[in-house]
Amino acid sequence: MLFVDQLRDGHRPLRVIGALVATGLFVLAAGLWRVQVLAGSRYVASEKSQSIRLVRVPAVRGKILDRNRQPLAENRPSYDLNVYLDELRPSFVWHYTNLVLPDFRAVHGRRPNTAERTALQQSARLLAYSNLVQRAAAVIGTELPIEPDRFLRHYRQNLALPLPVARNLSPAQVARFQERSLQLPALDLEIEALRFYPHGAAAAHALGHLQRADEADNDPDDLLFRYRLRDWRGAAGLEAAQDALLRGRAGVKALRVDSMGYRHEETLLQPVESGAQVVLALDLAVQAAAEKALARVAPDVRGAAVVLDVQNGDVLALASRPAFDPNVFLAPIPPDVWSRLSDERLSPQLNRAVHGAYPPGSIFKILVALAGLEAGVIDPGAVHAYEGFYKLGRQIIDDTAPPGDYDFKRAFKRSSNAYFIDHGLRLGPEAILAMGRRFRLGERTGIELGGENPGFFPDEEFLRSLRSRRTPWNDGATANLAIGQGYLTMTPLQAAVMTAAIANGGRLLRPRLVLGLEPSEAGGTAGQVFEPVVEGDLGARPRDLQLVRDAMLADVEEPESSGREAFIPGFRIGGKTGTAEIKRGRQLEDKITWFVSFGPYPEPRWAVVVVIESGSSGGRTSAPVARQIFLALQQREAGLAAGRFAAFQP
Amino acid sequence: MTTVAAPIPGLNPRPQVILWPLWVAVILLQVCGALFVFSSTLGDTTTALKQLVWYGVGLAAMLAAVFLDYRVLARWAFAIYWATIALLVLVILVGVERNGARRWFDLGPFSLQPSEFAKLAVILALAQFLSRPVEELRLRATLLRCLGLVGLPFALVLAEPDLGSAIVLVPTAFAMMFVGGVPPRLLGMITGAGLLLGTLVTVDALFAPEGWRFIKLKEYQRHRLLVYFGKDFAPEGATPEQRRYYRELQRQKSWNVEQALISVGSGGLTGKGWRQGTQNALGYLPRLGAHNDFIFSVIAEETGFVGSVAVLGLYSLLLFSGLKAAGQAKDRLGRLLATGVVALLFSHIFINIGMNLGLMPVTGIPLPLLSYGGSSVVCSLVAVGLVQNVYLHRRPH
Repeated sequence: MLFVDQLRDGHRPLRVIGALVATGLFVLAAGLWRVQVLAGSRYVASEKSQSIRLVRVPAVRGKILDRNRQPLAENRPSYDLNVYLDELRPSFVWHYTNLVLPDFRAVHGRRPNTAERTALQQSARLLAYSNLVQRAAAVIGTELPIEPDRFLRHYRQNLALPLPVARNLSPAQVARFQERSLQLPALDLEIEALRFYPHGAAAAHALGHLQRADEADNDPDDLLFRYRLRDWRGAAGLEAAQDALLRGRAGVKALRVDSMGYRHEETLLQPVESGAQVVLALDLAVQAAAEKALARVAPDVRGAAVVLDVQNGDVLALASRPAFDPNVFLAPIPPDVWSRLSDERLSPQLNRAVHGAYPPGSIFKILVALAGLEAGVIDPGAVHAYEGFYKLGRQIIDDTAPPGDYDFKRAFKRSSNAYFIDHGLRLGPEAILAMGRRFRLGERTGIELGGENPGFFPDEEFLRSLRSRRTPWNDGATANLAIGQGYLTMTPLQAAVMTAAIANGGRLLRPRLVLGLEPSEAGGTAGQVFEPVVEGDLGARPRDLQLVRDAMLADVEEPESSGREAFIPGFRIGGKTGTAEIKRGRQLEDKITWFVSFGPYPEPRWAVVVVIESGSSGGRTSAPVARQIFLALQQREAGLAAGRFAAFQP
Repeated sequence: MTTVAAPIPGLNPRPQVILWPLWVAVILLQVCGALFVFSSTLGDTTTALKQLVWYGVGLAAMLAAVFLDYRVLARWAFAIYWATIALLVLVILVGVERNGARRWFDLGPFSLQPSEFAKLAVILALAQFLSRPVEELRLRATLLRCLGLVGLPFALVLAEPDLGSAIVLVPTAFAMMFVGGVPPRLLGMITGAGLLLGTLVTVDALFAPEGWRFIKLKEYQRHRLLVYFGKDFAPEGATPEQRRYYRELQRQKSWNVEQALISVGSGGLTGKGWRQGTQNALGYLPRLGAHNDFIFSVIAEETGFVGSVAVLGLYSLLLFSGLKAAGQAKDRLGRLLATGVVALLFSHIFINIGMNLGLMPVTGIPLPLLSYGGSSVVCSLVAVGLVQNVYLHRRPH
């Protein structure tokens, strides 16, 4: 054997040399074992970390459609002009050797030292970049800012990523660029899907809006990515509530970079999965009618309107005014727009239909009536005389109804406070509160929007806390409760659920805003249909419900009734007006005017609720709005009958 | 009565003349060298072809070195030696300067690196010098002349400066003196003195404050030592700004070592595959060094532990063939020549691969037969030819 022989035989010094050589080779082999096998994975990791940048590629956001598949939120292509810095490298070198370096030598008469060379190279890069941007600007025919700091920052931090020099090119600019793109190396068009709300402010509150998600994101899963492309996240409304589904799954792109940090190659590690399409119960025509009807009250009207299908809880319209255009959140918001958006009195971003809790006022009499009829305290046939006010102890409670004789129906349609306080006191607070709880007041309806306001309704705990504060529940509180004032608030949506329950025979429905989900592209997640949900049943007697419906019908149809401005010939509507007073001490501060209604009588299909802040009265301010909405619903029926819309079929 | 065994036909054939393992190793190393010069220049055919030309030239020179009897060659040893010394002086005067060193003559299509040839000349001259009677080697005067013989080219190469090429002369000369019969006691003294000096230089470079450094190392040489010993570049009491400057400097200086280690380590057990290595392709390895001084990093990255150890195996085949030739050499001259070649090649291999593994400080010396470079390839092949020459004229068994 070659090796062993040398170590065994022969000349002693040669044996020593042989042993040394063998030892040396063994040391090297051991070193290789340590570095390549024992610590191999560590070096693989550091090789990766220095040469691979993971880039998060956002998925195309799912569309939001109305029930007739009209897009309410979609995506439009936005053309951005990007510079690929790796392709600009030859130009950097050219500018250095042909312009910057000769200049330096002409001035100083010597070669630059290391520090100077670094500075000169940087100015050569900037020069190359600004020349390119200027040529691009000439081609597309728009001024483009150079922004040296932005370029240098990008060069330092995101060298491997493209640098956008112009966003949102017009079709003409795109065409001009494409014609002459060969003259502009290192520039390329990037198509980005940008959210677009084709109907502007329509259904803005239900849809919500987006905000940038690639900056200041605290999601720990995303810390992996040192680089992210422009991405958006739902910040309000459905965009926020359904964000995970709409957003889809972001793809992951691995950029391999060279030792200078330039992009070397790209590999797609995980493909992008587009977000699901969300189909809403909203009907764009009804929604638009509701918004328009609200807007007709006053330009800066503050109010809300809700249209529910009383049979299945479908939310056909969920309108809130003032509104905002969700498109403005996709670009830097101009200061004047922002100051309006953040105006405290207008609060355009507040979805009043879901987040606004208001004292119900007289619409609460529906509930008191039902409780009274059920307990037998209210005898629909009995006639009582009232003086146009109610005297409780030494306190006088005003009444808008004139003095006179009142049976149940007249008291209801004239909204007699005296009648309802009188009967409410006889009924006692427990029965009224129990009825309120049967209507699930003070609880969220369960609509698929975040942050729903549950309103307020006194529960046991509240009553206990009143006692402990030594201001226990008294007749004054009961009198207030009977006319919907005092310790209770409701959202317009809760009022709509209440009205729908009266109309449909006592079923409390969960408002259904989302009908279903559909995959945006074949092979994506499976579609999904959300069935209507019945949250509970009032357990009321049909006879009592019929009496209440009849009284509501009278409130619209009969001559001296308060809701007659909602009247539509040939379309029978039952309604109840409400004008809640917000007082500070004895001072009247504001009025909340309500109109809750259903139609068509006798087989109701829709509940329409209108609330307006600072209106004059429920009958004069809100009832006409409801009338407009019913007219739109009627028109829609005609359209559906003519087969103009395809129904939702997931 | 004695019987003389008749020669049995076939049992005692013509003595073997070719040292097969040596040739196998040389050919395979050349194949490997050509493949990885090609890979490490990112598929530059010109460089790979040039390397093949050098292999051809080297093989021709090697055959010449085989067939010209080494005893004849040895008569010319001192002529060659002094010619080389003249070249070394000349290169310092008129050589082309690259990266602050004058190591090359520019001869148009190629450049010549005399320090490579000096290594061979030293081996030849030293072998010739040491093959005198053993008794003379015990004399101090002989020893001093011997040291002078090595010291002169050492100093000249160091002055180019080319520390790596100078350094390898030391173990080579030692091995030859040891095998030649210089008493170990004397060698021990020289070693002791050398170690002391080396320690002084290192300690001076690492710890002495500026102005107290008696031994003038080049700044880059001092930095390499600092990197190797993992010392902070910043002097004591440096201002934060200086500290930042030195930290950046340190990052730059340790860059090559770190990247070589990452290359080798990320190759893992079986490597990334030929031409699939990323460290070199993406420019993390020094672009100018990947196909010469750092070629082992590329091989290790692309073929992994398995390939790296195979390369080591080829080298051990080469080295132990040399030792075999030395063991069977007909005379002391032959044994010294073969020993010198083995020691020279081993020094290159150990220092170069050790550098890629972070075991040795960075010194620019080539990996024999694999690194790109005409002078190195030709000299290595001539050296191997000398080994075959010695084997050819070995004493009969």
